[in-house]
Amino acid sequence: MMYDFAYHRARTLDDARAAFRDADDAAYVSGGHSLLPTMKNRLAAPDRLVHLTAIPELRGIARDGDRLVIGAAETHAGVAASPVVQEAIPALAALAGSIGDPQVRHRGTMGGSVANNDPAADYPSAVLGLGATIHTSEREIDADDFFAGMFTTALDEGEIVTRIAFPVPDSAGYAKMRNPASRYALAASFVARFGGDVRVAITGAGSDGVFRWHEAEEALAARFEPGALDGLAVDPDGMMSDMHASAAFRAHLCAVGTARAVANPGRLTLLA
Amino acid sequence: MSEHDSGTDRDADAAPAAAGPCTELPEGWAYDAEASGIGVLPVDMFRSIGKPVKRREDRRLVTGKGRFTDDFSVAGQLYAAMVRSPYPHARIRAIDTAAAQEAPGVLAVLTGQDALDDGLGPIPHNPVPSTRFDVKLRAPDGAMPFIGPHLLLPVDKARHVGEAVAMVVAESRAAAEDAAELVEVDWEELPHVADSLDAMAPGAPQVWDEVPGNAFVDSAFGDEAAVDAAFAEAAHVASAKFHVNRVTAVTMEPRAALADYDPETGRSTLYAGSGGAVRQKRELAETLGLDPADLRVLSHDVGGNFGARNRVYVEFGLVLWASRRLQRPVKFTATRSESFLTDYQGRDLNTHVQLALDADGRFLAMKADNVSNVGARCVSLSPLSKGSGLITGSYHIPHAHLRARAVFTNTMCTQAYRSSGRPEVTYAIERLVDIAAEEMGLDKIELRRRNLVAPTDMPYRTAMGSIYDSGEYEANMDRAMALFEWDAIPARHADAEARGKRLGVGLANYVESSIGTPKERAEITVAPGGQVEVVIGTQPSGQGHETSFAQVVADMLQTPVERVRIVLGDTDKVSLGGGTHSGRSMRHAGTVMAMASADLLRKARTLAADRLGFPPEELDFTDGAFSHRDSNQTVTLAELATADAPLFAARTNEMHAPVFPNGTAICEVEIDPDTCRIEITRYASIDDVGRCINPMIVHGQSHGGIAQGVGQAMWENCPIDAESGQPLAGSLMDYGMPRADNVPFYDVGISEVLSPTNPFGVKAGGEGGTTPALATVTLAVLDALRPLGVRDISMPVTPERLWQALHAAPQATESRT
Repeated sequence: MMYDFAYHRARTLDDARAAFRDADDAAYVSGGHSLLPTMKNRLAAPDRLVHLTAIPELRGIARDGDRLVIGAAETHAGVAASPVVQEAIPALAALAGSIGDPQVRHRGTMGGSVANNDPAADYPSAVLGLGATIHTSEREIDADDFFAGMFTTALDEGEIVTRIAFPVPDSAGYAKMRNPASRYALAASFVARFGGDVRVAITGAGSDGVFRWHEAEEALAARFEPGALDGLAVDPDGMMSDMHASAAFRAHLCAVGTARAVANPGRLTLLA
Repeated sequence: MSEHDSGTDRDADAAPAAAGPCTELPEGWAYDAEASGIGVLPVDMFRSIGKPVKRREDRRLVTGKGRFTDDFSVAGQLYAAMVRSPYPHARIRAIDTAAAQEAPGVLAVLTGQDALDDGLGPIPHNPVPSTRFDVKLRAPDGAMPFIGPHLLLPVDKARHVGEAVAMVVAESRAAAEDAAELVEVDWEELPHVADSLDAMAPGAPQVWDEVPGNAFVDSAFGDEAAVDAAFAEAAHVASAKFHVNRVTAVTMEPRAALADYDPETGRSTLYAGSGGAVRQKRELAETLGLDPADLRVLSHDVGGNFGARNRVYVEFGLVLWASRRLQRPVKFTATRSESFLTDYQGRDLNTHVQLALDADGRFLAMKADNVSNVGARCVSLSPLSKGSGLITGSYHIPHAHLRARAVFTNTMCTQAYRSSGRPEVTYAIERLVDIAAEEMGLDKIELRRRNLVAPTDMPYRTAMGSIYDSGEYEANMDRAMALFEWDAIPARHADAEARGKRLGVGLANYVESSIGTPKERAEITVAPGGQVEVVIGTQPSGQGHETSFAQVVADMLQTPVERVRIVLGDTDKVSLGGGTHSGRSMRHAGTVMAMASADLLRKARTLAADRLGFPPEELDFTDGAFSHRDSNQTVTLAELATADAPLFAARTNEMHAPVFPNGTAICEVEIDPDTCRIEITRYASIDDVGRCINPMIVHGQSHGGIAQGVGQAMWENCPIDAESGQPLAGSLMDYGMPRADNVPFYDVGISEVLSPTNPFGVKAGGEGGTTPALATVTLAVLDALRPLGVRDISMPVTPERLWQALHAAPQATESRT
C-alpha cells in the first residue's frame, strides 16, 4: 500500500510545471507502469503526482517529411497499432508491441519510458539507434546527449518530454533476448541503416544503460550483413551481471542480437 | 491422526526383505467388498463415471462469482500488518512498540511476548507422517524428532528473512502498514546458513540450540549388507549428486484470513482459504487454546494451493487472536512480496544416488543419501518421507539402502509441494539410469525395459518396503512412445538441424505414491425434491470436486448428476475430513461417498419395502426408483424423503493402504546454441490413474501438473544469496513461470489399471503430470547438448545455465563456432 500523496491532473504544460514546482517532492506520472509499482512497494514516496497524459502537446503521431514524430503520452499499444508508424519504421511499431503485456502497453507511454531510462527498457534503444531528437518543455536534445546512465537522463528538474522525432531510416531491425522472468530485455539490439550510415544501440545489457556499439556500426557501414560482425565482441566489463545472465553471456547476446537484427530488417526478432 | 502398529511398519532397524512380488499382503490392504458394506459395485450402471462431464464450478469462477477469502469483508473490520525480519538470523533484543501504538488509527501492536502472556502455544503441525505405510523418520538418536516450535510470533530470534515478529492492527490497511514501520526491533544479527549441506558442516550456525549440527532427522532404511555385497560384485556403478531446486507455489490468490468474533456467543469465524478447513480448525483451536466448538473455519473458493496452503499460517492464528482481544473483525491479506518471502515453499533436496548394474545392465542395488532442507522449522516431513519410499522408481532393484536426513536452515519452511517428494526421487533415478546407459554404452530405452517392474510381479514390494499395488509399466512406456511418435525422432532431428537448432529427447518413467490422511467422512441427504446434498471434507483449489464427486454419487444413487450438490469448506457442516493433498481426494472421498450411498440405499430399501408391500430383498433398484417384478408400482428416492425426515446417511471411513499411480512422460526440446534459447516442442505422457471418473478433468489436471513440473525445470527458482542470506527472487520480476506462450500443447493419455485397494480402483491424477517432468526436461536438454560435450546441468535449465555449461564443456570451443 502506497504512502499518502496528492494527485494533480495537468491540462497544460505550464500547469504541470507549476504543480511540480509547488510541491516538496513531486513526480510526473504518465502511464505509471514504472512509478506506481515502485510506490506500492514503498520504494518511492512522492508527495504529489502530476499526471501528464491530458496535455494536448503530448499527443499525436504524424509523419513530418523524413521524420516520424510521436507524442510523449502515446501508449505503447497506440504506437504498435499506428499505420503511420508501421509504414515509416515497422521495427519501431514491432518493438512497441513487444513491451510488457497488453495491460502495460495500454497504459505505459513512450515519454514515460524514455524519461525513466530503465536500463532494460526497449524504447531507449530505438531512440538512440535511430538518432532521434527528444523535444521537451524547454528545448530539443539529441538522443546521443540524452541518456546519461542507469535511470538518468539529461532532463533537468521539472523538464517534461513532449514528443520524440525519429529520422526515418532506410531499414531498421530489433532483436531481443528476454529475461525469462520479467521479460524485460536481457540484451536487445536496435540496428538502423541510413544510406551508408549504420547506428547500433543496445539496451538491457550495459551497466550504464543503453549504449551505442560503435565497432559494429563501422563494420556494418562497410558491409551490411550479419557476417560483418564476425570476430567483433562487446567487452563484458561494461555489462550488467545477475542470476539471469552473467556479464559474459550478456556480451555474447549483444553480438548475437545485433546479427539477428541485421538479418531481419523491418521487424522484431525474439531470441527467447 | 493415530499411530498404528502392524507388520508393515518400516522402521529404520527392521530387517527388510529383498524386493519382489509381495506374497504376504498386510491386513486391510485389499478392498473388501463385503466388509465395506458396499457390495459389488454396479459397474454396468456407471452412466456418469468415466464421462467428460463439464465442470459445473467454472461458470462461477470465470464470471467473477468465486468466493475467495479476500472477497469477504465484515462491517467494522480492522486490518493487520506484520513487522517482518529483514535478517536471515537475528536475536530479538527488544521490541519498542511505543511509537506505533501512538500512530493514527492503531488499535494494537502485539508481539510474541503478548502471545505467550495470553497463553498461546505453537502451531501443532504434526509433521511426521504417521500412517501405517509411511516410512518412520526419526531423530539421530531414534527418538521422535525435535521440530522447532512454530509460535505465531517468535520471542527469542528470527530464523528467516520475512519472519513476522510483531503485528499492528489498525483501522485501515495503510494505517497498519505505516505504523508497522514505526515498530523498532533491536536486532542482534547472527551468522546464518541457507544450504542444507553447509548447515551440516562443522561449525555451521545453529538454527536451534536443541539440535547441534542442524540435522534433526537421520534415519536409515534397507539392507545395507546386501547392498554392499551387490555393489562389490557389480560390473558397473553409476553415481551422481543432484540438487532439486527450491520453488514456491505463486498462487494467483495470495493467502488471506478474516477473523470475526461474536461476543454474544463467544464464537469466532475465520474465513481462510486452505487445503482443508477441518485441519485449520483443529490446529488453530489448539494454538489459541479454544474449545473447537467456538471456532468455525470457512474455506470457500481457493485460488491455488499445490500444498502451500495445507499447513496453518501464523497470520491466520494472529488475526483470530487479535479479533478476540479487540472484539472487532480483523483481516490480513498478504502482498505478492510477502507471498514470495513467506508462503510455504517446496522441494530443496540434495541427493547422492548410486546404482550397481551387472554386465547385462540389470540393476542389482541402489544407494541413496537424501538431505531435505525444511527451513527454519519443520512443518512437514512429507517430501522426505514420500520420496524415501520411492527411491527405486519404476524399476526392480533387489536391494537398496537409504539415509534420509532433514536439516534446519535460515530459510522459509518447506512443505509438501505438488507431488511432494516424488518428483525429487524420480529426477534422481531417471537421471541416474540415463547416466548408467551412457557410461555402459547401452540404449536408454532398452536399459529401462530390462529393469521395469513386471505386471506379473504385482503387487510388488520394493527394497524400501513400499507395496506397488498394480500397474503395467512397460505398456505405459510403449504407449507414451507411440503417442510421442518416437520413431520419427531422427526425421525431426534432421529438420531441427537444418534450422540451426539442436533437438533433444528425454524420457522418464515414474511411479508415485498417494497416501494422505487416512480418514474421510461423507454425509448424504436426499431432499423431497430429489436434490442430493453431499457434505465432504476435501478442499478443491481447482480440481473440480464439485463435478467429479457429483458424478460418483449420481451413479451410486442412479440420479442425474445435476441434482447432486457437493458441500465443502465449512466446519459447521463438515465435521471431519482430511483435506486435499497427496492425491487423496477422489480415492478417499469416492470410497466413503460410495459407502454412505450404499447405507442410504439400504435405509431407502427398507422404507420402499413398507411403501410397496414387498420384502426389501425382493426389490429392484433402477433409475433411482425401487420396484418389484410383481407390481407396476415404483417409488423413487425423492418420494421416500420428507421434509421432516429426509433420507440421510453418514459414513466415516479410514483407509491406510497407499496406491501407486504410474506412467511415462517424454519431452522434446529444440535449443538454439547461439542464443541458448530452449523451446519445448513436444510433450507426451501416459498416466495410469486407476479408474478415471472424469477424463476431461484428469487431462486438465495432467496439463497443469506438467506445466508445474516444466516450470521448475525451466524457470522457477528460489535462490538465496549466500553472503547476505537474502532471497534473490522476491517478485515476478525475478521468478520465472510457465506461461501459455512457453509451454507446448500436450499429448496426454490415460491408462486405467484398477487398484485393488479401493472399491472404484481409483489411484490419483494430476500429480503424475508433475512427477516425471523435472527429469524429462533436464534429460531432453542434456540429450541435445551431449554432442557439444555437456554432461550435467542443474535446474532450472535457464539460458544462462546453458551458456555456462557450454563454456565449461571440454568440446565447447571447437563445436561452437
